[in-house]
Amino acid sequence: MKKLLTILSLCILPFTATVQAAGGHGIELKPAQNNLRDQDSLQRGAILFSNYCMACHSVKYMRYNRIARDIGWTDDEVVSKMAYGQNRVVDTVETRMQDGVAMQVLGTNPPDLSLMARLKGTDYIYTFLTEYYQNEKGDWDNHVLKGTAMPNVLEGIQRHATPEEYEQAARDISNFLEYVGEPAKLQRLDMGWKVIAFLLVLLLLTYLLKKEYWRDIKH
Amino acid sequence: MSTEEQSGSSVNLQRRKILTGATGVVGATGATFLAVPFVSSWQPSEKAKAAGAPVNADISQLQPGQMLTVAWRGKPVWIVRRTPDMINGLAPLDQELRDPASEKSEQPQYCQNSTRAINSEYLVVVGVCTHLGCAPLYRPAIGSPDVGADWQGGFFCPCHGSRFDLAGRVFQSVPAPTNLEIPPHHYLSDSVIRIGEDATEGEA
Amino acid sequence: MSEFEKKENKAKQGTLLAWFDKRYPLVSTWNEHVGEYYAPKNFNFWYFFGSLALLVLVNQLVTGVWLTMSYKPSAAEAFNSIEYIMRDVDWGWLIRYMHSTGASAFFIVVYLHMMRGLLYGSYKEPRELVWIIGMLLFLVLMAEAFMGYLLPWGQMSYWGAQVIISLFGAIPVVGPDLALWVRGDFIISDVTLNRFFALHVIALPLVLLILVFMHIVALHQVGSNNPDGVEIKKIKNDKGLPMDGIPFHPYYSVKDSMGAVFFITLFAIVMFYMPEGGGYFLEPPNFEPANPLKTPDHIAPVWYFTPFYAILRAIPDKFLGVVAMGGAIAVLFAMPWLDRCKVKSIRYRGLSFKLLLTMFVVSFVVLGWLGTQPATPELTKLAQIFTALYFMFFLVLPFTSKNEKTKPVPERVQ
Repeated sequence: MKKLLTILSLCILPFTATVQAAGGHGIELKPAQNNLRDQDSLQRGAILFSNYCMACHSVKYMRYNRIARDIGWTDDEVVSKMAYGQNRVVDTVETRMQDGVAMQVLGTNPPDLSLMARLKGTDYIYTFLTEYYQNEKGDWDNHVLKGTAMPNVLEGIQRHATPEEYEQAARDISNFLEYVGEPAKLQRLDMGWKVIAFLLVLLLLTYLLKKEYWRDIKH
Repeated sequence: MSTEEQSGSSVNLQRRKILTGATGVVGATGATFLAVPFVSSWQPSEKAKAAGAPVNADISQLQPGQMLTVAWRGKPVWIVRRTPDMINGLAPLDQELRDPASEKSEQPQYCQNSTRAINSEYLVVVGVCTHLGCAPLYRPAIGSPDVGADWQGGFFCPCHGSRFDLAGRVFQSVPAPTNLEIPPHHYLSDSVIRIGEDATEGEA
Repeated sequence: MSEFEKKENKAKQGTLLAWFDKRYPLVSTWNEHVGEYYAPKNFNFWYFFGSLALLVLVNQLVTGVWLTMSYKPSAAEAFNSIEYIMRDVDWGWLIRYMHSTGASAFFIVVYLHMMRGLLYGSYKEPRELVWIIGMLLFLVLMAEAFMGYLLPWGQMSYWGAQVIISLFGAIPVVGPDLALWVRGDFIISDVTLNRFFALHVIALPLVLLILVFMHIVALHQVGSNNPDGVEIKKIKNDKGLPMDGIPFHPYYSVKDSMGAVFFITLFAIVMFYMPEGGGYFLEPPNFEPANPLKTPDHIAPVWYFTPFYAILRAIPDKFLGVVAMGGAIAVLFAMPWLDRCKVKSIRYRGLSFKLLLTMFVVSFVVLGWLGTQPATPELTKLAQIFTALYFMFFLVLPFTSKNEKTKPVPERVQ
């Protein structure tokens, strides 16, 4: 049994240390502290995303009706709040920018953000959004990603709202992007323990069965 | 000390049976639950449902006697703006039809009437022959040459010669068993028909 | 044999079974490989991994078949189709996670299964072929996993494959042409993806299944080894049955069922609560679509390849690196002949073997860790040391094992 535990702990060991390969950021990332179960935050995040991000970014793997279902809106609400009534509920969430415009204006194509949270993590997104600064020349730059082509889109909120409200806005967007990264995540977390509980019952039964049969065998 | 030597009186067969049964039942339950995702994954995906979502048809430009085709769930849906003559010509055909009152045919409740329509002027019908799924042709003219001199106008299926009148009702002695299907639809306004969903409550 | 005949007579009475048995060796096959396959009664924890490997194989086959129903093997659509599975297909996320977690689980189980062989000398006479077929299985499994990893068409898929295929380029004379031939293009492209898909879903699984069948046939021909390394067939009772053997069914079928449920429970914990496996099972850069113009900051193969990858990087010469990497795997084939000790189980072997095996396992694990890290000069030095230790095991073993001071092996299992 002791050996067994040693082996198990050896198996688990590599997973406790998460991959730090994503390093190379300008600064230490701040924890986003978002909560995927906070539907109000997700709804605010969706609206903020629509207002501040969708001009350039898409989340093309998401459909409006899926967002509505998951974050507690009706089909009509999602279209009016995120798409200004311009899209059908079954449409995927595309950017409002026309093809090629970004290349002319920004010199790059803004990435689709469907998987950004899985690629970089919510802490990255949160820190990125809140770490814009003006350099000596007065140009905006970012501590996390130096020389980014993305403008400081939350500048308006930063100026006119309290620091808490500003951070909450960035947190809500990060939260929404985490949701978008894996829309089935809550479903996964919620069904996991039920499956595991069921398996433990089955494990007990198979254990008793094994013990019963193995009474035949004398060592 | 092989098994034979020990498997004696001490074996509690009853307990063994119960445990085997319990494990089997719980295991089978688990297997059934496990099968659910695999079976469900064959259902139309969100993408397929999106492609099959209701479509709007603008009928403002449709002239009397004309037909408009829109795609819904990958199938053609025809919208025919019938003239008063066409509508009046329906009732006399009842004797020649297989299912004149559309009792055995597929249509929403609100279209099981003499003209098979919400607004008798506009016929909305799925353009797929109920025989083997060919696309019938729209032959509105009386006595169309490729159908026959006694033709009163309607739809004609070139595959196996099924004939339907201008309400999509099937004639007797043709292969098609039932009238053409009417999809669920409703009027968003006088000029826009929404195909693929019934009117929600509160809407006219 | 009397027991056998009794059962056969019984079968003749059941009409349907008898009808079948006349036309197909149903009863005798069952008896030979399950009902009356006598396995040593002293199997321990290490003996779960064979049946678990089979379980994971079934999982991979079933979920794999289901994934192909929605996956599109083209450079333009592959990445999108994975996200389509994850979002638009009912339960697609679950099926995909079962497959991706299963891939890593497969290697965990297989590595532990191989470790069992090393601990108890299961590769030794008369089980050399069991070991060699097993090694072939391991090779094919690596190819299967490698090609499967390209299919999501993310950045890691793409650049991982790029690096590995470039290895072929290191082979003198034919290398560059060979790499070109494998890719079917000048870079990894749609063509490469398409052929990897064909191999991953059809060709290699078929080979795997055939080899698994052969692995079991070979095992049942010679009988199972055990933690004491005693041949149970040597001592039989008056009925001709091994005294220390017990029928696989019901004893090991119930025991393996328990093991399987325990394993599935662990599997479920990982799949539901850490499907990314801390960035090792699903690597974060793979959530970005493949971009042939931009290499990720740090390319590491999936964890199960990293020990061999570390050996490759440790050697400063490109060609010799490939040779060392290939050699690290190939040398395992020779285990039955490199180990010249007559005693099988580590329980009765001398200190030298215990030390050597520990050194081997440690170097394997450390190399595995090094393979996930960026190659700094210090880590490269470390990788070189542990590469040397890895090969040392195989170099020293033939000499130390010849006259190893062993403990007396008991007649019967303990």
